[in-house]
Amino acid sequence: MLRVLLTIWAVKLSALAIRALGRPGTHTPGLIARKLHPGIIGAVRHPARVVAVTGTNGKTTVANLLAEALEAEDLRVASNRSGSNIAAGVATALIGAVTWTGKPKADIAIIEMDERSAAIILPGLAPDVMVCMNLTRDSIKRNAHPAYIAWILSSALPERTSLVLNADDLIASSLGGDSNSRTYFAVDRMATDGDRPSGAAVDIAICPVCDHTLSWEYWRFNHIGKAYCTACGFRSPEAVYRAHEVDAANGRLRLELDGESHPARLINDNIVNIYNEIAVAAVLDRLGVPKNRIVAALEHLQPPTTRFAAEMVAGVQLVRLLTKGLVGVACSRAFEYLASFRGRKAVVLNIDEVSERVTDVENTAWTYDADYEYLADDSIGQIVVGGVRRYDQALRLAIAGVDPERIVTVESETAAADLVELDGVDDVFNLHSVHNALSTGTPVQQRLRVRLERSTQAAS
Amino acid sequence: MSRALTIEVLYPEIANLHGDNANIGYLAQCRPDARVIRTGLTDTPAFVAGPVDLVYLGAMTEQGQLKAIERLRPHRDRIEALIDAGTAFLFTHNALEVLGARIRNDDMHYDVPGVGVFGFESTLRMFGRYNGKVMGTVPEVGVEHPVLGYKSQFSMVSAVPGVSALPGFLTADRGIGRNMSTDVEGVRRGSFIGTSLLGPLLIVNPHFTRSLLAQLDPNSEPTLAHEQFALAAYEARLSDFRDERRWHRFERVQSTC
Repeated sequence: MLRVLLTIWAVKLSALAIRALGRPGTHTPGLIARKLHPGIIGAVRHPARVVAVTGTNGKTTVANLLAEALEAEDLRVASNRSGSNIAAGVATALIGAVTWTGKPKADIAIIEMDERSAAIILPGLAPDVMVCMNLTRDSIKRNAHPAYIAWILSSALPERTSLVLNADDLIASSLGGDSNSRTYFAVDRMATDGDRPSGAAVDIAICPVCDHTLSWEYWRFNHIGKAYCTACGFRSPEAVYRAHEVDAANGRLRLELDGESHPARLINDNIVNIYNEIAVAAVLDRLGVPKNRIVAALEHLQPPTTRFAAEMVAGVQLVRLLTKGLVGVACSRAFEYLASFRGRKAVVLNIDEVSERVTDVENTAWTYDADYEYLADDSIGQIVVGGVRRYDQALRLAIAGVDPERIVTVESETAAADLVELDGVDDVFNLHSVHNALSTGTPVQQRLRVRLERSTQAAS
Repeated sequence: MSRALTIEVLYPEIANLHGDNANIGYLAQCRPDARVIRTGLTDTPAFVAGPVDLVYLGAMTEQGQLKAIERLRPHRDRIEALIDAGTAFLFTHNALEVLGARIRNDDMHYDVPGVGVFGFESTLRMFGRYNGKVMGTVPEVGVEHPVLGYKSQFSMVSAVPGVSALPGFLTADRGIGRNMSTDVEGVRRGSFIGTSLLGPLLIVNPHFTRSLLAQLDPNSEPTLAHEQFALAAYEARLSDFRDERRWHRFERVQSTC
């Protein structure tokens, strides 16, 4: 107990010192804590209830929405929303939620958890509820493949943790053991869904029971959809929390909440965010929030930060779109979104991994997990590729079916903005990755904006 | 005179990780006349009933390896006969491990015999993933065009004690081989090539791919799809691979002394 107290004091003092220097102090104190007491996540006293939010996509949004909704219920919420989602960030959040004497001062903890870090975090955190949004391909180096992440999560899950899982994801929905209670959420068939998988990264194509090819009531992307096996009768789990009747134009949808049907506000019409919304509703229901108050809360929750921004410049739509390099699945969603624009398009593509430019050589295998085929469309007049690995990107585009005559390569990422042909286009896309968002994404956006403005002035 | 090639891709519904299957998509673009057979897990492989020019198996999950072993084990004699007869095989990343003597994975609690074509065994450490680059010479294309590749793997491969020399796919000039203690990477026997390098090996290495195409069909002039981009990407990567600053201590073969 003394060691725990000493750790708490050290962390609180270090956090105060770091904040006095003007930095957030959400990660380093946790590192100190784990150095002083490697088991601190389990040793520090927790709030009465703990919810872990994990998965490849959506965990930040869901954790933030849950914290916001529960605060509106007048609960004192501890969370790591301003810090990191690995063990140090979790330790910092949990210690921040106790007094100097170690007593809990929050009613509930909402912990966003990096799924790859589950082996370190979950045994000590021992959440009452864990929600998993999805498990899709991520970094080849770090995350290997979704089944590996599922194994890590299942191996580390305490028996008493209640699971809230995505029924449309046969990897995420398989989490846990016999002792874990579970409930499922899903998004019913949508007009844009297909009947069979396509694309490069499909991680569930065969029946987990008998190995025969699965059939699909609806298929959405990657391995997301509702599947069944005609050979053995296996089916995706039935969800008691479902979103359907999505009306993007009017910002409404209908939620089925464990036996009750409610019209509700559509927080955001991106499919990932529809999953986020029904997951938030499911967790709130499992926590005992009355269903009418869940629906009321959804009316006020702030929509998540989107990964794109569009502006009209001289009659042309200039779209900045985060296209996360090294993660093919994320790029596929960005390319799909780009392809959904109906007008004549030009694209600036800068998605090299910054951290591997000088001290390593990026493995571009991930580009073959991404569906560049969305970009092989006659409505895209030109794609200018910048960066160190520009020839790899150009080759990937050509293999995907993009006419090589439409591909331009240039070493400088920002200069790509100067080379793209803007005459006659309706939409210009600025695709950049995470780590070059400021160094490349912002100046490219600025250069494109200036060029579009000048083209109007020249015309007038 | 050129003839149509038959390429068999084994179990693409489970063996499709890390972009490996793009190898065959690229070969098919290089040889649009090629017949590509995609054999499902519950199908009998085409190579069992008749000749094929190339048999391919790509990267898969750990459970996928166990399924592949189960499905291929009945065909072990046929695989060995085809290898001895000169049929080309390309097994990338952890597909090679399927054909070994044993796969041991203590973290996932199994230790199973492989198909048993080759005298090596694989040991997986699920919290010890190795990431690194490899640059090495292969006889097909010589030292001026080394094969460039990457490893991201849980496993290390080693010869079963007492097994006679097991020739490698390449000898690593930089980077590690089958394991941290050797520069011999992968396995080759006749026209069988197995390598733990992952991803679009044939796309990244156009010179090697040209030699493979020539081997598969000696009577035709091999043509690379999108050759200009492929060669430019190779030259840029080769230049980076030759840059000393980009190699790290963990990418060195460790002395066993």
